[in-house]
Amino acid sequence: MPSTHIQPLPPLTPDLHERAWSSTPHPTLPLLATAHAKSVTVFSLTTLTPHSNLTGGHTRSVRAASWKPNLPPHKLCLATGSFDSTAGIWRWEDRGAEHETEIRNGRDGNEKEEEDDWEFTLVLEGHDSEIKNCIFSPSGAHIATCSRDKSVWIWEDIGASESDDDWETIAVLNEHEGDVKALAWCPELPGRSRKGTFGVECLASASYDNTVRVWREDGDAEWVCVAVLEKHEGTVWGVQWEGRPRKGDKFPRILSFSADGTIRIWTLAQPSNEDGQEDGAAQGRNALGGIPNTMRQSLREDWVCTATLPKVHESDIYAATWSATTGLVASTGSDGTLALYRENEETGEWSLLESLPNAHGPYEVNHVSWCRRWDKGVDPSRRGVEEMLITTGDDGLVKPWGVQA
Amino acid sequence: MATLDNANPTILSASQLPTRQQRIPLRTGPDLRYNDIIFEKPSYLSRPFCDAQVASWPRTDASDGPLAAEPIDEQEIYDLISTISDPEHPVSLGQLSVINLPDIRITPAPHTPGVGPNTIITVLVEVTPTITHCSLATVIGLGVRVRLEQCLPPNYRIVVRCKENSHSQDDQVNKQLGDKERVAAALENDTLKGVLDKMLETCA
Repeated sequence: MPSTHIQPLPPLTPDLHERAWSSTPHPTLPLLATAHAKSVTVFSLTTLTPHSNLTGGHTRSVRAASWKPNLPPHKLCLATGSFDSTAGIWRWEDRGAEHETEIRNGRDGNEKEEEDDWEFTLVLEGHDSEIKNCIFSPSGAHIATCSRDKSVWIWEDIGASESDDDWETIAVLNEHEGDVKALAWCPELPGRSRKGTFGVECLASASYDNTVRVWREDGDAEWVCVAVLEKHEGTVWGVQWEGRPRKGDKFPRILSFSADGTIRIWTLAQPSNEDGQEDGAAQGRNALGGIPNTMRQSLREDWVCTATLPKVHESDIYAATWSATTGLVASTGSDGTLALYRENEETGEWSLLESLPNAHGPYEVNHVSWCRRWDKGVDPSRRGVEEMLITTGDDGLVKPWGVQA
Repeated sequence: MATLDNANPTILSASQLPTRQQRIPLRTGPDLRYNDIIFEKPSYLSRPFCDAQVASWPRTDASDGPLAAEPIDEQEIYDLISTISDPEHPVSLGQLSVINLPDIRITPAPHTPGVGPNTIITVLVEVTPTITHCSLATVIGLGVRVRLEQCLPPNYRIVVRCKENSHSQDDQVNKQLGDKERVAAALENDTLKGVLDKMLETCA
């Protein structure tokens, strides 16, 4: 296959020289948060060099970081999940803006700490063992964390103001039978709300127990498991939601990737009459782990595996990413191969566009994410618009890739 | 440890353990001095007269000499891990027959043509715990995986499993040992790291 779709771009510098787990792009700003060892390095995607560091908050490796959405551009907030069983909330404010305020308030602005602009404002404690993932909801009002202790916790912002970090546990979800590896909140799309039954937020979790579970908030503000997606034959390393609106505002689909080397697409079976919830009741008992709860039966959703992507990886797929702009999917994993897939929107069939071996030389690649391009190499009119891929590897490199489909 | 899982294991003596067959040393004496001339590929086998590579012609370039790096073979893997100490007995995994040479497989096999520094090479090690309910099977497997990850180049992928039917919960142990994230987290656990360091102390 000619190497035409994926082209390497200059890597971010400096090399971190140790395993890096994940790189999360900011939803709107040219920033990327890379989790490695006990810290997070924030890179500028404009200069492709470090912007700031988050250090000293965790006693073991940081596995994941998530940006709080919908903040003004001079305020940054990250949540981190660590193997030390805690999640942390960190804040950063543009010194310039703060300095002005201080002067206006008649205070001396000289006592600023030059180096450490990030403040570790809150630690979320509760999990019994390593946190594997931690993620803000699309509104920023919730954080979900998951752990080797088999649980998913949902935390709600009850702070009086933006700067007042006060988070309360509103749900502890214990239905997985193994480590919960990753989480994903359904994006804010028109198809997301189903009338009456649930709150708008919807969470998917992937587990060592080979399943994906879908969680929603019922009419009594209780978080419940509405579906168990069972087809994978190995640890499900993660899930992604479809980010593009679907025809007829149908509910977004789910993509899952696994140690079994497969990537699956799942679609919610939506009855034409949305009130026809009774249909699923008979099977509901089985899907919810035999809990004879009459209330829960009516809250069951029917998710069907509607596609399997072409097989590329022979071993664990550690990451896949689904573009909200183009609908393209990229995946990577233990074999170090970076693969790119496209769906035929007419037939719903997926084809492999390219499979690029040794994306990080001989090393395993732990993460891949779509991300906007902001660097000088891209035409100014396309800055912040054009998409690229970012891979993060065991070699400590964070590599951008240009994509032409 | 208060009670041993297996109080009376079978222990092999050092002479019973597999070692590399003593090779006949390559001759490097004066009779090889003229090899370059004697074995030089004749001009009629060179371009433009002949495009084909003559496989049988002995090559004389330096990288194939006796000092060239040998690919890593099963015996070398065995040598790296058989000296790991058992967590509960003061003897090596080789002596306890937890690690056995025939249970080590490398794919693609050493000496396979076309293998470069970026070729992913899988090393499969099947361990045989001394008794089927040995609760330390995971720790032993972890020790093997950690030892090989420390010693082998980054293109090697290490798979450690319990030999089939050797352990009552081998599926669970295999899954744990194959999980990179769990292995990474385990190494940050001070207690477990202490046990592993002790096991690996006896490795040369």
